[in-house]
Amino acid sequence: MILPGLVLVGVFSVYPLAYAIYVSMHRLLLTRPDQTPFIGLRNFLDVLAASEIRVAALKTAEFALLTVPGVVLLGLGVALLLNQRLRGMWLLRWIILLPWAVPLVAAGVMWRLLVHGNFGALNGLLFQLGMIGSYIPFLSDPVLALFAVAVAQVWREFPLAAILVLAGLQTIPAELHEVAKVDGASALARFLYITLPLLRPSLLVVLVYETMTALAVFDLVYVLTGGGPGNATTLFSWYTYASTFKLLNLGQGAALSLMMAVGLILLIVAYLRLLPSEEERA
Amino acid sequence: MTLTRLMKRRSPLWIRQAHHERGPLVLSLSKDLFIRRFEYGLQYALALLLAVVVLGPFAWVLSASFQPESAIFKQPPDWLPQPVSLDNYVYVFTGQVPFKTDLSSGLTAGITGDALFIPNSLGNTFIVAASVLVVNLIVGTLTAYTFARERFRGSRLAFNFVLGSRLLPPMAVAIPIYTLLRVLGLLDTRLGLVLVHAAFTLPLTIWVLTLYFRGLPREIEEAALVDGTGRFGALWHVVLPMSAPGLAAVGAFAFLFSYNEFLFAQLILDSIELKTVPVILAAVSVNPDATYTLIAVGVMLAILAPVVLALVFRRYIVSGLVSSLER
Repeated sequence: MILPGLVLVGVFSVYPLAYAIYVSMHRLLLTRPDQTPFIGLRNFLDVLAASEIRVAALKTAEFALLTVPGVVLLGLGVALLLNQRLRGMWLLRWIILLPWAVPLVAAGVMWRLLVHGNFGALNGLLFQLGMIGSYIPFLSDPVLALFAVAVAQVWREFPLAAILVLAGLQTIPAELHEVAKVDGASALARFLYITLPLLRPSLLVVLVYETMTALAVFDLVYVLTGGGPGNATTLFSWYTYASTFKLLNLGQGAALSLMMAVGLILLIVAYLRLLPSEEERA
Repeated sequence: MTLTRLMKRRSPLWIRQAHHERGPLVLSLSKDLFIRRFEYGLQYALALLLAVVVLGPFAWVLSASFQPESAIFKQPPDWLPQPVSLDNYVYVFTGQVPFKTDLSSGLTAGITGDALFIPNSLGNTFIVAASVLVVNLIVGTLTAYTFARERFRGSRLAFNFVLGSRLLPPMAVAIPIYTLLRVLGLLDTRLGLVLVHAAFTLPLTIWVLTLYFRGLPREIEEAALVDGTGRFGALWHVVLPMSAPGLAAVGAFAFLFSYNEFLFAQLILDSIELKTVPVILAAVSVNPDATYTLIAVGVMLAILAPVVLALVFRRYIVSGLVSSLER
């Protein structure tokens, strides 16, 4: 009885992959669908030769470096806070998932309403508090725009990280901490030598997942900046989308997609190499 | 204000706690008490900050949705609607133009016909997401139960294949899936979108349910088998009732994924009367004609169902999340 499931999953994973490999080696322009000569690796070479791809790759790396540590560290901090026995903490645990549960598109639009240069609650707040004299155009400044997308991404993703780390925290036996306390270990020492090593598996899972998410981010860019201003937020997924569906060059689009898939899978393999060895030690 | 009151109310308790742990050593007690009081204060402050960070954006969008655009364009903006106006909501549901006085002075039309499709798109999204949920529960349960209870040649390989398919980034398979659906004649149909969403959610469903079924005691099932109910009978009468929390988790997941998914919904659906809410919201939000307060209404309507779902099914979603990503 596994056939329906396997077929459904297979049709939408194996076939697309095979097709992408096939198309990437042919010239396929949607404007001229009847002429699809085999051109070997020309698409890959053309795509790699374009300077935009280097910009997109760099921007994506920058974005990942901004968001992944942010999400992991914030997630860890929030998990430690949620793990405290404080009155009313259940309320916080209850609402924490909200940013993660709403559509990414909606999260992006919300942040547009927050950081917009002509109004935006953030500008309003800073202005109200007298910290700025005039509104800051967050989304039309190249550096600030990437930051804005990154902040939206961190806001969206940190609840997930916090929940996973919290689950990891709750598996650590309380006796460990009590024994260490009796031995005179400070709170910092207990965190560094008990909590952190035992959290390693959870943190690595979060790291892997968040890296994948950051490198594939698309919806946020679509509604928040549209890749702009200029190419300041032209991240890899957006670049693939824009160059495929605006230029209608499916061959080059497939080549781009494949390079992205290979890159991601290599990264995941590298992470997974890390994962089991750390688990064994823990 | 509330914070200090809370601290005052709790302070006798800390003294008692400190006494209990340290005995009547007065010197260390006062130092301990100070640190504890500071720690509690800090924790409450951080908790408050966190709540503001999580809820603040929602509050602002909610407030904006009840205002004319001119009110939020003030410097500083009107933080709270004064008065609360339902005009933007009325426009979305009836097409009655909001804030007429506002429009006469503005340069843009202030409205967009796309926004009128929001209620319809909510219905579409429900149909698609509910179908994805049903496919997940039926196909996912059958597949996972087989993986959990039967050993056959290639079962490990098949299982790993299902899991591995999740590693493909959506954008990388978007074009081939688009052309595949074109060949199958499923472009611009709900069925096409449901199939794609199901293919993306099933690996997780199968993974979580397989672990769940493996964790159930076999004895009850075997008793049912002895009673002559057969495999399906055992699954239906014994396994499924025991797996309700797992099913709720994967169901909520599949529904949320489908409800929120944007890229494929955008690619596959072309007719505006079929589009799902993330697609319509994106179209409204990048339309320069729409006022930002109208866009805020779109956001509020789009997030309503996921927010309610996340609050009601929080426990199951969390347990599903934890078991799915811990591997």
